[in-house]
Amino acid sequence: MTKTEYLTEYDEIAKTMQMYIDASKQGKSELMRPAFHPDASFFGYAGGQLATGTKFLFDWIDKNGPAPKIEPRIVSVDILDSIAVVRLEVASWSGQLAGSGVRMSDLFTLLKTPSGWKIIQKAFHWHA
Amino acid sequence: MPERNTPQKTLDSWKQIAGYLDRSERTVRRWEASEGLPVHRREHEKQDTVFAYKHEIDAWSRLRIKCPAEATFDENDAPAPNTQANNSYLTEHDAITRKVHCYIAGARAGDGELMRPAFHPSATISGYCQGVEYTGSVEHVFQWINQNGPAPDISPRFARIEIIESIAVVHLEVQHWSGKLAGAQARASDVFTLLKCDGEWRITHKLFHWHDR
Repeated sequence: MTKTEYLTEYDEIAKTMQMYIDASKQGKSELMRPAFHPDASFFGYAGGQLATGTKFLFDWIDKNGPAPKIEPRIVSVDILDSIAVVRLEVASWSGQLAGSGVRMSDLFTLLKTPSGWKIIQKAFHWHA
Repeated sequence: MPERNTPQKTLDSWKQIAGYLDRSERTVRRWEASEGLPVHRREHEKQDTVFAYKHEIDAWSRLRIKCPAEATFDENDAPAPNTQANNSYLTEHDAITRKVHCYIAGARAGDGELMRPAFHPSATISGYCQGVEYTGSVEHVFQWINQNGPAPDISPRFARIEIIESIAVVHLEVQHWSGKLAGAQARASDVFTLLKCDGEWRITHKLFHWHDR
């Protein structure tokens, strides 16, 4: 990969992640749905309960509602040709379900598809 | 890096490997096939000219577990020495690498059942192979491994292990893939996502990139 190609891929991945972040802030899952692959999976523990499936995620985002003060940071972006791993840290989660001041660590894996970089899995750890 | 040119750090035959592990040749050959014992073959020589690095054998011994599906041990085969991790980070790290070693053992042996215990029942895979996207159940991996058959020369390396409490990501680089489907001398990059579920790490997703040559 040349430097220019790397930046292009990186920026496309960042754009996909931004859709997730914007949807989380506004509490509107429809904003993040296009960032996800149709067969994406979702895994993690929320309050001791195993949560799976992107439907759970989208419902949660909608029910949680606006979380305008979340502080997302991209910790790492690793690109291996057609696949990528992004670690995202989100501080100060708030909302109807999240409560306030909660921290979440996310591991996103992405696949490069003809329609752009798509999240194929989100694994999360909710720091209780 | 391994000191590849230091003769006393290598074992140069099945007999020496068996002697080093204090087991029969038959047993160490089976460990290579079914449990990922790191044995190398010299290129351009006959199939059974093997060698092993002592430091790789030692590392394998420390991590070795019996996969639940693996039940073909000789009765006189006591478990290999297992260093008790006395540090919570090491405990998690080693538990994760053991799961990935199940995958490696299955890949080497061409037996999907050997790797099944490492995966969450609803695990999925995604990636491209020869330009075609494969996304779906992990069962596809088990079937592919069975059809591919033995790939005794694969050389796996852990490129990255990142643990965040209950989740983890492992980037594994595998060179020298071979077999009926893999062809020869192929390279795969794998990204495994794991979840600690009821106290046990399970692979929930395998994302792969198959490097076209």
